[in-house]
Amino acid sequence: MQLDFQARELTVKLVYYGPALSGKTTNLQAIHRLLVAEGRGRLMTLETRDDRTLFFDLLPLTVNTDMGLTVRIKLFTVPGQVIHNSTRRLVLQGADGVAFIADSQVNEVRANQVSFKDLRRNLRENGIDPSTMPIVIQYNKRDLPNIRSEEEIMRMASQGKERTFLATATHGIGVIDTFLGLIASAFERLESMHALSQRFGLTHRSVVHDLRDRFHQELEAPPT
Amino acid sequence: MSEPTPSDIAYAEIANLEDLIDRDSLREVCRSFYDLFGLSIRVFSVRGVLLANVHEERSICRYVNSLPSGRVACSDTVAQAQALIPTGAATATHKCFTGAVYDVLPIMYDGRQLGRIVIGPFLPSDVNEIPQTLLRVDPRLEPDRARLALAEMPRVRAQTAQRIASHLRGVLDLILFSGHRAQLTSAMHLLTVRENYRELAEKNTRLQEAFDRLKELDRLKSNFLATVSHELRTPLTSIIGYSEMLEAGIAGELSPEQGGFVETIRTKGELLLQLISSLLDLNKLERGQLKIKPEYIDPRAVLAEVKETCLPEAEKRRIKLELQWDPDMPVVQADPVRLRQILTNLLSNAIKFSKDSSKVLLRVRNAELHMSDGLEDEDDDDLDSGSLGAALMMAPERAIEFSVQDSGIGIAAPELDKIFDAFYQVDGSSTREYGGAGLGLSIAKSLVTAHHGQIRVQSEVGAGTTFFVTLPETQPDAV
Repeated sequence: MQLDFQARELTVKLVYYGPALSGKTTNLQAIHRLLVAEGRGRLMTLETRDDRTLFFDLLPLTVNTDMGLTVRIKLFTVPGQVIHNSTRRLVLQGADGVAFIADSQVNEVRANQVSFKDLRRNLRENGIDPSTMPIVIQYNKRDLPNIRSEEEIMRMASQGKERTFLATATHGIGVIDTFLGLIASAFERLESMHALSQRFGLTHRSVVHDLRDRFHQELEAPPT
Repeated sequence: MSEPTPSDIAYAEIANLEDLIDRDSLREVCRSFYDLFGLSIRVFSVRGVLLANVHEERSICRYVNSLPSGRVACSDTVAQAQALIPTGAATATHKCFTGAVYDVLPIMYDGRQLGRIVIGPFLPSDVNEIPQTLLRVDPRLEPDRARLALAEMPRVRAQTAQRIASHLRGVLDLILFSGHRAQLTSAMHLLTVRENYRELAEKNTRLQEAFDRLKELDRLKSNFLATVSHELRTPLTSIIGYSEMLEAGIAGELSPEQGGFVETIRTKGELLLQLISSLLDLNKLERGQLKIKPEYIDPRAVLAEVKETCLPEAEKRRIKLELQWDPDMPVVQADPVRLRQILTNLLSNAIKFSKDSSKVLLRVRNAELHMSDGLEDEDDDDLDSGSLGAALMMAPERAIEFSVQDSGIGIAAPELDKIFDAFYQVDGSSTREYGGAGLGLSIAKSLVTAHHGQIRVQSEVGAGTTFFVTLPETQPDAV
């Protein structure tokens, strides 16, 4: 998080993490598509090869709150392929929250788990205790066959502390829920650490509320 | 621009417009804008640095500037227009006393103002009369002349001005976006390379530490082996010595049965001593402690001695040992003790693996040693050097080649590379049939290497094996 008192500007960094081809970039593309034009930045893709992200994608968005504070949100993706570990670690620096995009297909279990371990290791290497990082999990590709059932996912999710969402990012389904869930988790933590509500009257609820209005109504789904 | 750090790209922000924009390109864009719309344009960074300036002095400006009070009023207006900072993303307008206006457009990127574009002066289309502010600016102003000059000022409708501004904003946004992307990409390239390098360097350090630990363990092993071998040899020498004395009857006559027992004790003791000596030799060779002592020797004589040594063993199995050499054998430099050790080992192996009543051929002939096929360049990692320095490197060294050829069981091709490894046995079971600890060839190879020579093997299963030992005629480090 970056706070510019003079400009009354708060910048928050959120990272979409996950195994290769799990749909991180697709999530950002869907968010970009579903956002209203005002305050929506251009989606920047930094180097791709064969549709694979090499460095990162970046989607900036700006929200002017009622309290006169400008909240700038920067959404990043990381490259999923194993070999780009140092890039992932670089992109992860300064993150205020992570959306972990998992592949729902049963045979991708291992790839999901390897990537999640990689996330924890990279957080630690960046000097962050993974248990303090706001993380939400998205089980993407719900439209594919051979996927883990919703009941099973929810049963597993109830054992953990991360909010878990189901999505079909290619159709924009579940993408906003995940995003708003991530915003809520990240701002809850920022609130507790930096007394944002006391200083700026900013709460995670108000940010989620402001952001929800920024999406096209017809495709909006209520956040959990 | 200084090298990026990870925190520089953490939020992927544009630090400032000056660093991002190529001023020549921006000037070109502004020039084409001027050519298209006929409007003057200036671009400032948020810090007030003028990045591009394409303008032409208008007739009215020229006229006003020719009057003293007019000049003051004009420069005030221009300064105010250039200092005007619009709030938010909305266009601000600054009015000139001539009735013309300046539009000030904020350059917004990613929710932040990075600079501003000043367009004008131009005359809004709704200004039809010459304004009083112009008429009053200087007592010497001639209204008719001013009216004519003002008519030359470009007229723009409010709507058109907005469209032009939005077009310009679009073009600039694209330039900024591309520049930003290029800046981030190059920073990421650099940081990723640096991060990978740091990771590799850390791994290398860990590997080096592991390697050092292993080397230390190896040294400890060698020391242990040396100590143990030495400690074993001392009592063994006594066992052999006393057995010999018993055999010689120094402690009284032995019955034939007792004599047989004592002989077994002595011969097995000698075998054990040989094995321990081999271990010590190998250990010394591995640690590079064994130095050869080259002398001038006649290779034929050495070969003949080796034959004599192994003759009893061969005769037991009616194996014929045949000697062959070139007529003009030179005297060469080698350590006679070690050379005998090498050849005896090869010959006794040949006998061991030969069929009864067969033949083993011992040869020595003149030969050449090439740098490329020798062991000399073991530490030369430039293996692909090809013909580099061929005039020097291809020159062969004069050498002699010993060979020991048997018609025994032979060695299968995959095993050929490994037979020179210490403790290696082609077939584990052969140890019991033929005896030996698998140290002989390893020692022989080390000794040949110590002579700057080469040892190689040719073999065909069932047809026999030939070992070749090529030694240079002279030893470079001989005194």
